[in-house]
Amino acid sequence: MTNEELKSYIETNYTSLLTHNEAGKYDLLFEVDAVNLVTVCEKLKNDPELLFDYFCNLSGADTTEKFEAIYNLGSIKKKIRIDIKVVLPHENPVIDSVQTVWPAANWYEREMWELYGIHINNHDNLTRFLLHDEWDEGYPMRKDWDAPDFIRFPDL
Amino acid sequence: MTDLRTEEFDINMGPHHPSTHGVCRLLLTMDGEKVVKVVPYIGYLHRAIEKICENRTYAMCIPILDRFEYVTAMSCNYVFSLAAERLSGIEVPERAEYLRVIMLELNRIASHLIFFGTTAMDIGALTPFLYALREREYIMDLFEMTCGQRLTYNYIRVGGVSKDIPEKFIPQCKVTISTITEKVEEYKRLLNKNPIWKMRTIGIGKLDADLAIAYGVSGPILRASGIDYDLRRDDPYSIYDRFDFNIPVYHNGDVFDRYMLRLDEIQESCKIVAQALEGIEEGPIRAKVSPNFKPAAGETYTRIENSRG
Repeated sequence: MTNEELKSYIETNYTSLLTHNEAGKYDLLFEVDAVNLVTVCEKLKNDPELLFDYFCNLSGADTTEKFEAIYNLGSIKKKIRIDIKVVLPHENPVIDSVQTVWPAANWYEREMWELYGIHINNHDNLTRFLLHDEWDEGYPMRKDWDAPDFIRFPDL
Repeated sequence: MTDLRTEEFDINMGPHHPSTHGVCRLLLTMDGEKVVKVVPYIGYLHRAIEKICENRTYAMCIPILDRFEYVTAMSCNYVFSLAAERLSGIEVPERAEYLRVIMLELNRIASHLIFFGTTAMDIGALTPFLYALREREYIMDLFEMTCGQRLTYNYIRVGGVSKDIPEKFIPQCKVTISTITEKVEEYKRLLNKNPIWKMRTIGIGKLDADLAIAYGVSGPILRASGIDYDLRRDDPYSIYDRFDFNIPVYHNGDVFDRYMLRLDEIQESCKIVAQALEGIEEGPIRAKVSPNFKPAAGETYTRIENSRG
């Protein structure tokens, strides 16, 4: 399935759930509302035309106004890939866990919770992951967080 | 003996000394010699590379990315450059693509040799370690003559590669790959029939296909579990679609299959390098990219087939 076919398939079958985002280069990028995330993920995984059975990666992003969670999904049988983005508010960001759909999401969600401070609902083990146990200095990957010895590189 | 009391106990398994590499802590729950449960603690070497890169230009990121994984640093350079190139639509010169493939495959061989040597050493056979590092040294020589580095290359840059290969590279590389292809047969003769090796690898650490996919396992481990999936063929990047090579797949998903698969992959990589050395032509090695280069706005996620997945 080429990217164009995939795009038209998703636009016909997931009309109200996924909206195409032009920012995605090379692979397709779709946006989804946080409330629909788990439903959409289950549907994508079980759709016989798509079979997104493979969870490649989950990345977080801080645009200073919003938080973004980007799910990179792949299908081993169909050899296709898409990205799904969830936009979250900067105050009290909360997202549902997708580990019931792909167990691989477990660690990525812990990492996102720890480094971005995005709370994960229904996660079975939301404990310290990469930072040390006594960490009490906020969420390091947020844009407003600087390390104590940080020196900004001058604009070129 | 029937009233002998037994209970499970916990062991901390390292290494997590700050000067060691690849540190992590595994909290093992043991029932005699059987591991019942593992809780991994992996944060010991987290160096916040993403955060460091926020404050740097794209060119300045590449030497840091070498340190992601210094056994196959070329792939780390490459995957980042590829992302920047895809965002900006930079055309990479033909010769640079060939050089990249040669370096990536040589680095894959080097990494698999490290796997072969150290796995055998940890299982109790010291000889393979000496053999594997001897062959790996030939590859390190090739890298050293090209970019001056043996581990952290900083070779593949956005738009091409940093330096052209010296004249003696191609003849020396041909000798190296033919030697390694032969030596792999020797490795197989050395271990495959060894009863201790077989006892400690066959049926050990089994990972079936469904579990491997569910947990997002990739690379050689996925293929050793019976899934025929290789990005070099299934989502081709660079110029991999021009080469003729097989993708070895094994079905038991145990340590023995992963070992056999990697040895086979070394031979396949040798084939790719041989074809690339035949196909390479003179030409520029780098597209014009400013040192302060910033890619066009957009988002992308790139994935390549690394030797470790």
